[in-house]
Amino acid sequence: MPLTSIDDRVVRVDAEAKARGEAMYVADYSFPDMLYAYMVRSSVPRGRILDIHVPQLPDGYYFISAKDIPENGRNELWMIQKDWRCFADGDVRYVGETIGLLVGPDRNILKYLLDNTKIDYEEETPAVTIDDAIALKGGPIYGEDNILCSLYCEKGRPMQEIFNEADSVFTETLETGFQEHVHLDTNGAIITEEDGKYVIYVSAQCPFYVRKSVAGLLGLNPEDIVIRQVTTGGAFGGKEHFPDVLCGPLLVAESVIHKPIKLVFDRTEDMLYSVKRHPSKITFRTALDKEGSILGIEGTIYYNCGAYLSSSYVVLQRGVFHANGVYDFPATYLKGMGVATNTFPSDAFRGFGAPQTLFAIETHLDHIARKFGFDPAEYKSRYFIKKGGETVTNGHIVEDVKLPEMLKQIADASDYYRKAAEYGIGSGKGIGVSFYNHGGAFTGNGEQAIIKAHARLVKTGERVLIEVGSTEMGQGFQTALRKIAANALGIDIEMIDYPNPDTSLVPDSGPTAASRSTMIVGKIIEDCAKEMRERWDEGDFSVEKEYVHPEGHPWDQSTFRGDAYLGYGWGAAIVEVEVDRLTNEVKTVGIWTSHDIGHAIDSLIVHGQVNGGVIQSLGYASMEKMENRNGHFRQESMSDYVVPTSMDFPKQEWFLVDNPYQWGPQGAKGMGELVFNGADAAYVDAVERALGITVTKIPIPGEDIEEALENV
Amino acid sequence: MAAVRNYVPETLDEALLLRKAEGAVPLAGGTDIMVQGKRGIGLSPEIGKPVMVISSLKELKGITMLPDGSVEIGALTTAAEIAESLIVPWHVRMAASGMGAVALRNIATIGGNIGNASPKGDLPQPLILLDAEVVLISFDGERRVLLDAFIQGSKKTDLHDDEIIKSVVIPPHDFTYSYYRKIGMRKANAISKLSLSAAAVVKDGLVVDFRASSGAAGPKVIRSREAESMIIRRPVEDIPEIVPDFLEAWDHAISPHAMPKYRRNSTARMLTRFLEAIVNEEEPGIVE
Amino acid sequence: MYKEIEFRVNGNKVVYSGNPLTRLVDVLREDLKLIGVKEGCGEGECGACSVIKDGKLVTSCIIPVGACLGSDILTIEGIRDTEKGKCLITAFRDGGAVQCGFCIPGMVMAAYALLESNPNPTERDVRIAISGNICRCTGYDLIVESILLAASRGGELWQQ
Repeated sequence: MPLTSIDDRVVRVDAEAKARGEAMYVADYSFPDMLYAYMVRSSVPRGRILDIHVPQLPDGYYFISAKDIPENGRNELWMIQKDWRCFADGDVRYVGETIGLLVGPDRNILKYLLDNTKIDYEEETPAVTIDDAIALKGGPIYGEDNILCSLYCEKGRPMQEIFNEADSVFTETLETGFQEHVHLDTNGAIITEEDGKYVIYVSAQCPFYVRKSVAGLLGLNPEDIVIRQVTTGGAFGGKEHFPDVLCGPLLVAESVIHKPIKLVFDRTEDMLYSVKRHPSKITFRTALDKEGSILGIEGTIYYNCGAYLSSSYVVLQRGVFHANGVYDFPATYLKGMGVATNTFPSDAFRGFGAPQTLFAIETHLDHIARKFGFDPAEYKSRYFIKKGGETVTNGHIVEDVKLPEMLKQIADASDYYRKAAEYGIGSGKGIGVSFYNHGGAFTGNGEQAIIKAHARLVKTGERVLIEVGSTEMGQGFQTALRKIAANALGIDIEMIDYPNPDTSLVPDSGPTAASRSTMIVGKIIEDCAKEMRERWDEGDFSVEKEYVHPEGHPWDQSTFRGDAYLGYGWGAAIVEVEVDRLTNEVKTVGIWTSHDIGHAIDSLIVHGQVNGGVIQSLGYASMEKMENRNGHFRQESMSDYVVPTSMDFPKQEWFLVDNPYQWGPQGAKGMGELVFNGADAAYVDAVERALGITVTKIPIPGEDIEEALENV
Repeated sequence: MAAVRNYVPETLDEALLLRKAEGAVPLAGGTDIMVQGKRGIGLSPEIGKPVMVISSLKELKGITMLPDGSVEIGALTTAAEIAESLIVPWHVRMAASGMGAVALRNIATIGGNIGNASPKGDLPQPLILLDAEVVLISFDGERRVLLDAFIQGSKKTDLHDDEIIKSVVIPPHDFTYSYYRKIGMRKANAISKLSLSAAAVVKDGLVVDFRASSGAAGPKVIRSREAESMIIRRPVEDIPEIVPDFLEAWDHAISPHAMPKYRRNSTARMLTRFLEAIVNEEEPGIVE
Repeated sequence: MYKEIEFRVNGNKVVYSGNPLTRLVDVLREDLKLIGVKEGCGEGECGACSVIKDGKLVTSCIIPVGACLGSDILTIEGIRDTEKGKCLITAFRDGGAVQCGFCIPGMVMAAYALLESNPNPTERDVRIAISGNICRCTGYDLIVESILLAASRGGELWQQ
């Protein structure tokens, strides 16, 4: 039997069916007697519902709302907390909040009913921005202060002492905007009943999250509901918790109607009425000596969470834990606050809170370096954290940090130092640099304490079936996990199956999120495979294991102290631009990156992840502007919220450093989010140098560059 | 829920009859109407009026050079066909080749782009620069109107209830210098955020003709004859001292609401660059 | 006045007698069950629904069926088992062009339209040809390389 080595480039298992147009995404499914559902949504950001006028419903048509939740059920979606309601009831808290579902067989009739459903509101003043929330505009939305969640981290001597001793304090506020996922496959789900059980086919990252979240609506247990993930056309975090918001109302509808019901968003709905990346406002006060060396940094970090918590507290934690970037400063005090506003709840998006603070710290350090006349690469590299270095959570880096080597790779390839010296500030040409990291998997001991991932291998004859709840959403996990198993089993990858998960058949291996799948689930599968290999001759059997956290790395989730992450991915990026002085159009002429992802499981998959993550990050920095005015998103289509095309950025040069992670499968660490985390800051640095401007807010389309030019 | 009826006429006469009798809106490629009337997955677009799909009417297709050197472009000619035609003037070809992306250019037509009269439309801007005329047809015959007069404002035209756009006629020009630039939200497949065309004829040190047009700069394409006349018939060496007044006149012509500072400033910088090419007596041709 | 719209899809005759403004994508996906044609945006901006109409790449979500009179429509289903289609699909597979896959059938159609008219494209030609096909996963590099791979592997095939 041919062996699949971990360093062989393998063909993706799902590629051919997808390219042939045979893969079935949620919109491609239909069932006999299937009905369609349309969401009736709030059209005001904040107010009381006075009355709902639904037109006379023809036979076979239904309006499903909070009133249809049975007595033993509760109108709540259980994400991390249970604050997000399945149906708005009495009041509405954001534009697009689900009020009800119109269900029936004919979409033309449903559209007519939807267009003629009128809701009377007593409108209240919404708080939309972070500043609105802090000012309690319209009165508090949550508690007394609109602070949905908060935390702080402290390292070194108290910052007040440091400020007193400092020669100068450099203060600036940096902001990032909303970002929309724009997975090409919009959100969608279909519910039906099979053998007396509710079965949901859904485009989702975390099938086990869905069943946990919705079961309580009908007073059921999660096991009473079967979730079948269908081929998922991109997610990027946008299908981590958000599928619950579709599946909840569908479940309530199903309990009344008992026919297959399909709910698939069109692009406008997906753009206007889905979760986004948290906007942020981050103020750094940095204590400096007279040479410009950093004595300590204080950071005040606000994230706009929208109307419900969803995953915001965890997002905020990650943001705070990444707010000192890849650096070891003598002292720091970081305070994070997630504020409630009347916007669509913000939720997971590739990077999960880290990109905002990483952009902010990188750009802040660029500004300090420039102020004191240092090259940013040289200046920043003085502070690179090293193995054993203390993190902002008073834990330690437990692995080798190869940033100097990574910087050398991309600086050589891009001829960075020559260009940085030659292209004068304001010359129209600029080259920029950034460094970043991403802590792999759940924070601290979350994997062991909260997730408790299980994974299973089943041997039947010569074939082996992988049973996990982890999902393929485009990142290549169905291929990577098969490769890990094949390598550990010593068999050919073709002998291994790994279908899309069905929660009634597979153990819960935790959410497909947090760059944890390869690192954590891959490790469990590797361990299962090693055991299976030893017992190979026993016939047909299965091996199931639970994740075991390495000993000796304490974490206290109540104080946020300890080793937050055991394996970080590390990154360095250089971006070169030329700016048209007539039009402020930025042309990116070169992109160079280097990443440490431990040992790569498949170079081709990694190549694709790097390219895609970097372009998403460059879109975030340059063109992806999502504005919210008075609670309404202004960009509603792919022509006014633009993401990069094939013409916007040049071919990338990419490098890896090999740095096997001792607890990862075949040395692998997470990488899916890392590759999003830093190119934005390198781009901004390059544009700043090309034009001699100071940027404190992304994205920076031509209009914003013009504004910055005026401030020079 | 009474749905309006939509039609596919077989002949131009049938189309004119539908236009007159039912006020049916002509759909050429569909890139505007299908989006404006969009109702979601599995539902046919509706715009509240009957629509007639005239895509197959041969009478409205093709590009021809007329005896006087003018170029006539049939209303159903696509952006891709215009971009590839060597007899179409340069400014118009540039605009056509920068419209959307490949698939859109294969569908979108010149008639539709004019009839839709969006301030962000790509083709009206260079056509108005070139003093193109639009040919309108009805049972009463044909009439020709200057495109600049035909488009009255955002989404407003002088198309009569019984008329269909038949073609566009572009008079011949021989410019010494030409300039075209479209700025979108990204490098391709983008709606225009701002566009500018300029052209000049310089003979023996004298600016004989000078014109410019700004797209996406107001409710319709902006041409300011007043500003243009400040340059026309002036010696090249006088231009530098006229530039500030000219730019002010142009800035005055473009709509204050549609033009935030960035677009105003970019327009001024591009016009300055174009005039600089004239003043520096650069090699005749396209100004970059 | 045409009461029926007659056209061909992947070589098969189709006669449509409903509303001529019905979107071609709905006829293909819902009536003809050609689910390889994806709907990504519904307004001709993303290219997921790309098909070839009379030799030209078009987005089927903004084509009314009434505009298909007498047309030849080719979808991914119509090319995937042809030599050219297989050449493209295996190049996409081998070149790592496919991640979530939702944009890929449309991307394959855009590549097919390109190579039919330009068998030896440059990297820039390829980037222009797919600039109306949005991919959120790959950053495009591996798609571009896969199309160039199909061009070089196909060689003579694309001259036919």
